[in-house]
Amino acid sequence: MAGQLAVDASSSPETPAVGSPPVLVAKGVGVGYGGVRAVDDVSISISKGEVVGIIGPNGAGKSSLLGALGGQVKRTQGVITLGDRDISSLMPHDRARLGLVRTFQTTSEFARMTVYENLVTAAEGDRGASLRSVVLHPRQTAQRELELRARAWSIMERFEMTHTADLYGRELSGGQRRLVEIMRCLMRHPRVLLLDEPMVGVAPHLTGKLIDDLRGIAQEGLGILIVEHALEVVRKLCDRVVVMAFGKVIAAGEFEEVVRDPVVQAAYLS
Amino acid sequence: MGAWAFYITTLLVYFAVDVLSAFSLNLQFGYAGVVNFGFIVFQAAGAYAAAVVVLGPSGGVASFQQYVFGARLPFPLDLLVAAAAGALLSFVVGLFALRRMRRDYQAAVLLIVSLIALQVVSADVPLFNGSNGLTGVTWPFGEFFGATATGQPWLYLIYSLVICAVVCGGVWWLSRSPWGRSLRAMRDHEDAASAMGLNITSLRLQVFVLGGAVAGLSGGLLVEYIGAWSPGAWGYAETFVIFTAIFVGGVGNYRGVMIGTLLVPIIFLEIPRFLPAIGYPGLTDSLEWVVVGLAWMLCLLFRPRGILPERRLRAPRAEGVALDPAPAEGGA
Ligand SMILES: Nc1ncnc2c1ncn2[C@@H]1O[C@H](COP(=O)(O)OP(=O)(O)O)[C@@H](O)[C@H]1O
Ligand SMILES: [Mg+2]
Repeated sequence: MAGQLAVDASSSPETPAVGSPPVLVAKGVGVGYGGVRAVDDVSISISKGEVVGIIGPNGAGKSSLLGALGGQVKRTQGVITLGDRDISSLMPHDRARLGLVRTFQTTSEFARMTVYENLVTAAEGDRGASLRSVVLHPRQTAQRELELRARAWSIMERFEMTHTADLYGRELSGGQRRLVEIMRCLMRHPRVLLLDEPMVGVAPHLTGKLIDDLRGIAQEGLGILIVEHALEVVRKLCDRVVVMAFGKVIAAGEFEEVVRDPVVQAAYLS
Repeated sequence: MGAWAFYITTLLVYFAVDVLSAFSLNLQFGYAGVVNFGFIVFQAAGAYAAAVVVLGPSGGVASFQQYVFGARLPFPLDLLVAAAAGALLSFVVGLFALRRMRRDYQAAVLLIVSLIALQVVSADVPLFNGSNGLTGVTWPFGEFFGATATGQPWLYLIYSLVICAVVCGGVWWLSRSPWGRSLRAMRDHEDAASAMGLNITSLRLQVFVLGGAVAGLSGGLLVEYIGAWSPGAWGYAETFVIFTAIFVGGVGNYRGVMIGTLLVPIIFLEIPRFLPAIGYPGLTDSLEWVVVGLAWMLCLLFRPRGILPERRLRAPRAEGVALDPAPAEGGA
């Protein structure tokens, strides 16, 4: 429970302090594809140490919202701030360098690179791997490689993936690919993690461990926004839940109250 | 020097030039996933640039050949100009051809650039003497060793092998560096690479310009040996010869790329050119293309990753990490 200032009496000890300032805030975000409004005026915020779940039927706009936050999808309206910076019009790599990283609904491992390489590559891009530093500062580059090496191995140990270090991304099982994506994100010391259906392909007996891992990561001070359709996972993992349908937020709050909400039940049944 | 020795030396000079080309293309395609179907244009740019800076001042319309910017530069400026021409043209073309769009569209745009460039250079006589091309290109060591490089083939062979070794060594070293690793990440998944902090636009332009410089250099090296350069030398099909070479040898594996270069442009294409003509005139020329096409097809069927596939780089162990049994070396 490190780094928490005050705990709201009504919430369980797992939930973060109500007073902790949000690290990622999206206000009135919209995404359109041609005439289709996939995301319409969605506002959402995530605090340090908090896990926020997004649920909603297929086509609700969950992935599009994550795309707008990560910068992969063009946002038609709204403002996104990370910490105290407006990142609304930054390129994806600049958002990543500021600490906003993500996984994708379709796994996005680097297929012809080993798991180890998947990890160390992810930590580059702001310093160390530029053409200039490789050519002009070989010593710092080599030093940085050593740091990355140690970090990559410790992350692989944490996720019990050291035995896959030399396997190519394309040789992994679906669940291992999900883990590689998450480990890769952690290499960057992120502030916010966006996860798009990370449990798909993970063997059922391993989801429990992944839930624990993600909770552990959040407790180290990360904000996590997770799109997930398995309600059981959401119930165990998330502090708060946001329900989307037809591009809009139709409900938000704690899991138990949200799922009882007749509006939410109607959206799921329709 | 006997005819055979000259023939062999010439083939080896071509080999050096083609290895440079293949390394450039392998860096762009094998590592970065940039499908440069306009490759030959950047080699041609280097060849023309080197030609006009060693030919001397242009005689203008009155002379038997016209060209822009005549000069007589000493070594190594001629080759540096060639590399710079390839790099500069790559930069300009890359700025619009490599914008965020699907890779197959980028490839198509680059192929079209290649076709347009050929038409423009053929039609615009004052630029590089149109379709007749430039002849009489000498080499910068004329005052020491005789006017043309073909007069000193051994010397030129050593010269080109040294340049080839140095530049290819550099390309190889960069490919193995963390920068090269970023290129492979971009190749494998652009969105994920940029979501992990890699600046895709900049990486792609960097590799395109760097490859363009090597291509330009290879053109300069080639034109100073053969002494002439015209649109006939850089049809778009030449690009596919180099692509075939790296596919046959092994995309992403520089040793394989060298083998592929020895096989495809040299053994399959150059050697038959000196065989006695069979059948009607031009039959051997056409057969060469059949051979190249077959080589590519056989390779795709039987060794889809080439003679020497891209090698897996084993992860360096960190201190204090328990070693698991090594995973089986598996093909997928
Ligand atoms: N690239 C795209 N082009 C056009 N329409 C899209 C695209 N991506 C998603 N959509 C549409 O936007 C809506 C929201 O999709 P998405 O964000 O993937 O929803 P979810 O992740 O909640 O299933 C859907 O109607 C989908 O068809
Ligand atoms: Mg989705």
